[in-house]
Amino acid sequence: MIVNKKPSLQCISYILIMVFSLLIFSIAAAEEGALKAPQDDGKNAVSVDVKKDVQDAGNNEAQLTLGKKLFGERCVVCHGASGNGKGPAGVIKVMEKSGRVLEIHPRDLTSGTFKFRTVSTGCLPLDEDLLRTITDGILKSFMPDAKVLKLDERKALVAYVKTFSPRFTAEEPCKQIAAKMPKWVGSKDSIVKGEALYKKMKCPDCHGNDGSGNGPKSNDIVDDWGNKILPFNFRTGNLKRGSTPDNVYLTFTTGLDGSGMPSYEDSLKDEERWNLVSFTLKLMNKAEYLK
Amino acid sequence: MKKVLLLFVLLTFVLSGIAFAGPYEVVDVKGGGSITGVVKAAAKVADPVVKIETTKPEEHQLCGMTAPSGMYEISAGMGVKNVLVYIEEVPKGKALPKMDYKLTNLKCQFTPLVGIAYSGSNFVVTNSDPVFHNTSIGLMVGGKRSTVYNLALPGKDQVITKPVRRTGLNSVKCDAHPWMRAWIYAAKNPYATITDADGKYEIKDLLPGTYKVTFFHEGFGDVTKDVTVAAGKPATLDHTFSKK
Ligand SMILES: [Cu+2]
Repeated sequence: MIVNKKPSLQCISYILIMVFSLLIFSIAAAEEGALKAPQDDGKNAVSVDVKKDVQDAGNNEAQLTLGKKLFGERCVVCHGASGNGKGPAGVIKVMEKSGRVLEIHPRDLTSGTFKFRTVSTGCLPLDEDLLRTITDGILKSFMPDAKVLKLDERKALVAYVKTFSPRFTAEEPCKQIAAKMPKWVGSKDSIVKGEALYKKMKCPDCHGNDGSGNGPKSNDIVDDWGNKILPFNFRTGNLKRGSTPDNVYLTFTTGLDGSGMPSYEDSLKDEERWNLVSFTLKLMNKAEYLK
Repeated sequence: MKKVLLLFVLLTFVLSGIAFAGPYEVVDVKGGGSITGVVKAAAKVADPVVKIETTKPEEHQLCGMTAPSGMYEISAGMGVKNVLVYIEEVPKGKALPKMDYKLTNLKCQFTPLVGIAYSGSNFVVTNSDPVFHNTSIGLMVGGKRSTVYNLALPGKDQVITKPVRRTGLNSVKCDAHPWMRAWIYAAKNPYATITDADGKYEIKDLLPGTYKVTFFHEGFGDVTKDVTVAAGKPATLDHTFSKK
């Protein structure tokens, strides 16, 4: 019993120290702010801010503790304790129906680079983007869904994942891109236009004329980490983020940062990207998503 | 317990010092000092030849079979061209220039190979070739790359403008042409430059103080040196690279 009690006491004092440190931290921060803006008549405001900071820090601390615990239980095996993607599971090799072998590297969370976002290229994913990936998992990648976890628990994981990269504290979130599918997506006319764009945008350079991912550039591509990656094969299945029209549209719009897939947000009009969705859904045999 | 507490309080102050090392502050610089110097190579290094390896005949037609890399441009006096020289952390100084960084895809190469972009200005990326290029700008953080922008430029005369947001050293690549490369230092202060054909550089209008100057060259690597600048005087800071 005594042995069991000792660590919990240590734990409590550790938390107390942390809270105390955070209090000092907040005061120091507030003072710094006051020094930089001496013209501000905000002595009361400063003390209110300190209280609020401490409160937020308290909530945050509990959430991060929960996030860390869950990360340890569910994520460390692939992403590693330091989040660098070098967990004990290592690199997983998968063979496609076509015979292509794909290497799956768990995401290195420390560089703050993520593929599945609802924001422009170069932007950090929004909390809801991370939450979606954690909740639904990633198809064909061995990243399982986390639907057994409560929303609070999944949010705690999001908060903890964000601690691996300083980008999340240094940068402001970007404006979300709304995917508003026009009614005509999937129509014959749109598919024809999309097919022409598929060629004009040089998609076949990587993805091949028939979409099977075997274009002339398909063996030349490496990701941000220097690992060789293969272009998506539209013929054998699902996009990793899911093959709904919205997800296909977002892939063209945002690009998949860290991979070779660039953003077409500036090179194609919105309408053109939806035409491309019509054509690629047909390539993927996923027209059922339009019904 | 008291000791632990004291340690934590101390640690907190140290950390808050780092966390609040505020952004760059623009002030009037009158009678500032400067840093001048020459970057040299200890020995001549042959400039490697880039092989244009593509299975698309039209790309060979446009871009040839080989091209000089332009990596080692060393003058008769051993001066090294295209060395990035920058001071990453400057607390305050003159205003940043408002100057867009023009990067062009031309004959399956990036032009210019090396340059400085300024926070608050834009990257203006152009494709001057009738073939697909994508321009992927990536910040190098602790030896790792982190995509800043990955832009599709599928057709000739496509131009894309994006703000310079994340600062630091960037490597630029094109996923369709693995030999394509460029380097951009995205600066959060105006104290950055590149060496000329004789390896010379100058950084002007610095407030007196001690600065950490970094020299980066894609072939030779990087080095950071301390230099003290006095008001109204040039300080000299040279460097000689040797091939590892
Ligand atoms: Cu290219």
